[in-house]
Amino acid sequence: MPSKPEKHKAAQIFIPIAIGGVIVALTGSARVHSSGILAQSFWGAATVLIAWNVLLLAAPNLREAAGRIDTTLRAQHYIQAVCQLAVYLYWGWYWSPVYDMSVLIGAQLMFAYGFGMLLSWTRGKAYTMGFGPIPIILSINLFLWFRDDWFYLQFLMVAVGFLGKDFIRWTRGGQQAHIFNPSAFALGLFSLVLIASGNTDLTWGQEIASTLTLAPRIYLFLFLVGLVVMYFFEITLVAGTAAAVLFGMSALTFQVTGVPYFIDSDIPAAVFLGLHLLITDPSTSPRTPVGKTIFGALYGGGVFALYTLLGLMGAPTFYDKLLCVPLLNLSVRAIDHLVSKRAKTEAWTPSTRIAAQPVWLSPRPNLIRMGVWVLFFGVMSVTGRTDGQHTGDALPFWEHACFEDLRNACDRLIQLETSYCGDNAAWACNELGLHYRKGTIVGPNTELAGLYLARACELRYQSGCMNLLNPVGEIRTEPRLLDLRLMLREGGLNLMEMGRADLLERACAHNWSFACPTEVGNT
Amino acid sequence: MTARIAESAVEETKDRFKRNSSGVGLMSIALVGLSWLALVLAPNPNGQDNAERSSFKLQDSLLLPGFRADVAFLPDERMLGFVEIPGGEFLMGSDPEQDSLSFDLEWWGSSRVSGRPDEPTFFMSRYEVTVAQYATFLSSSKHPVTTPQAISAPPDHPVTWVAWTDAVAYAAWLDDEIRTSAAEGLLAEPIATLLLTGWRVSLPSEAQWEKAARGIDGRIYPWGDEPEPDFATYLAGGTTAVGSNPCPRCAHGLSDMSGNVWEWTTSPYQPYPFTHEDDLETLRMDALWVMRGGSFGDPEQMIRAANRGGADPGARRPFIGFRVALVPG
Repeated sequence: MPSKPEKHKAAQIFIPIAIGGVIVALTGSARVHSSGILAQSFWGAATVLIAWNVLLLAAPNLREAAGRIDTTLRAQHYIQAVCQLAVYLYWGWYWSPVYDMSVLIGAQLMFAYGFGMLLSWTRGKAYTMGFGPIPIILSINLFLWFRDDWFYLQFLMVAVGFLGKDFIRWTRGGQQAHIFNPSAFALGLFSLVLIASGNTDLTWGQEIASTLTLAPRIYLFLFLVGLVVMYFFEITLVAGTAAAVLFGMSALTFQVTGVPYFIDSDIPAAVFLGLHLLITDPSTSPRTPVGKTIFGALYGGGVFALYTLLGLMGAPTFYDKLLCVPLLNLSVRAIDHLVSKRAKTEAWTPSTRIAAQPVWLSPRPNLIRMGVWVLFFGVMSVTGRTDGQHTGDALPFWEHACFEDLRNACDRLIQLETSYCGDNAAWACNELGLHYRKGTIVGPNTELAGLYLARACELRYQSGCMNLLNPVGEIRTEPRLLDLRLMLREGGLNLMEMGRADLLERACAHNWSFACPTEVGNT
Repeated sequence: MTARIAESAVEETKDRFKRNSSGVGLMSIALVGLSWLALVLAPNPNGQDNAERSSFKLQDSLLLPGFRADVAFLPDERMLGFVEIPGGEFLMGSDPEQDSLSFDLEWWGSSRVSGRPDEPTFFMSRYEVTVAQYATFLSSSKHPVTTPQAISAPPDHPVTWVAWTDAVAYAAWLDDEIRTSAAEGLLAEPIATLLLTGWRVSLPSEAQWEKAARGIDGRIYPWGDEPEPDFATYLAGGTTAVGSNPCPRCAHGLSDMSGNVWEWTTSPYQPYPFTHEDDLETLRMDALWVMRGGSFGDPEQMIRAANRGGADPGARRPFIGFRVALVPG
């Protein structure tokens, strides 16, 4: 007769099968039911868990560990999870696909727990039950979702994150530890493969990156959420330095080139989110103040460089915040080494060391650093570098900058018009078509010109139709009200209900001169 | 002794580091490989489009009697099916006293009469553009396949499910194709000379369309003033093969000017009197584009030569197709 713990173990061994059952049950939800491939992906994930569980039961050498579960609840997991959940709730309030995604995120969570258990038991270890998988899954989904037709890859991405956590390890500070932040590893790896295989449109990455700003005052919200993480886990130096580097380099670039680096923000909202919730895993980042500062600075510099690099490669730039995290994780031991070497060298002159150490690196309470960060963010906000209108929001600014031949301005103009055309702003499609037809600010491309003009025309922008009919036509008219509603959103505001007068006033504020009142009255 | 222990500890650490590093490397490669495989095996989002295109290529071996597979399935005639419509005045629009079925948008202004515009010589295609012709266009261009239904009908039926923009793109493509053929000496006269002297393939304007349909004498239908079920496909369940209703009595001998499918034109939908000059007046409107001829599903009133339909330029419908014209440059 089995003892009590053995009884528990016997029951626990079937948990992954039960999780598989729950995932199958979720296929009955309306969201999963809406796509055949999505439902099949759920079935596939459940089948993997159930089959693996059955194999485990059948393998006598693995049965020993199977079913063993230890429970450990770590603050870094549940606090992080609560912060992420807050971001989902706020963002989803303004962009409904986030709430629609909840069933899919739930399924990934289930899968993550099941997969983690089976992986541990297969490796002959007890599974540590806690909140660990929650921040991993929530973090992955804050940056990348595969579209329904490729959703099975989302489960694979989760699996890769957990495999990376379990298998790719090193000795750090005398202890075995995973090298990569599991979510950042999966995101970085899949981003790399998506770009290299030319499959970047299999995901909702672009939409995710651009819809965060649909939520008003998102920077302030992320800042407040970030403060919680900073308070509990002392990651102020990492996030603060990364933000400072990005703000600083953005400002410097603007001074030198005359145009904003990140087009319509000093730090894209998704990057701002990343530097609070993606690179701040204490297990995979340096532990000393200097190390954290270097780590944050490298993230800021990395994102900055990758943004240009990806743009040059013709890849979507929203991957900038994802690709450099695994590389940074790999550099942690080197940073630790560098910092400890410096400390040893300076140990000969302790008084000098204390004198030379800047105040923000001093071993004072984290609250002081947070205070500096609050002040810094306040200054950035007051000077219009976070929420609110940004110089680069105004398309006429880029037209003018392009005309003045300022660095990258024409590329950015094309990029903006492409984005607006993608949002169905017919005026932008017509402009793009003419740019590609003329080939003055972008390489001539007759086919693309035809496609953009056709799109403008199908959006009932008559100039586009006329230009399509006449191969040498160059008819331009002012944006219609609908086009303005789409092009004045500053990233995400819904202007569909805005009155004509307010819309024209807003257009005027964005440098659309035709919309400004003239001496004889409004246009 | 202490030194030896320290030495062996260092060696052990080195070994562990080596094992660790190689394990990390192998596992990284395996994970990258796994993810790569998954993404490579994932169906390409453009795969469906490519599959559609490759299916058109099968039609290269298609033989349609009366059409040249080597020249984009155009009619096997010296003028590739383009019929001359001589220049001069013609009656356009309707006089409600002569045509009781006419709609007010066919009246030439408030005077309720027909107009008499002048239209220079041009050439109108004898048939509506076929599925085979449109499929050839899709297979040899990068034009997006928005509605696969467009090429699902038999190859000698008129193409449908095409927007105004698709029709304009087809005309531009065909212009390039036959111009190249003309430059290479593959076309007979006089079309080769016309192309080399600046004539071009285009959709017809609605004036050109109406003149080609009813001639200069203002007849109500292409064949006369009474409906004739033998000469056109109307009040039917679907399209018929182009030219399957021979109409010797029709003006200029063109087929399916009434019925079968509505045909796109290059004219924005606006009130008469018609002039080419006022096309730009619609620039700030949500303009529709004129289509003519009625379709297989319409009654007699709708297939009259003067009847004017209007549709959104992005409309793709099972009853809208087009034909092309050869017009002075």
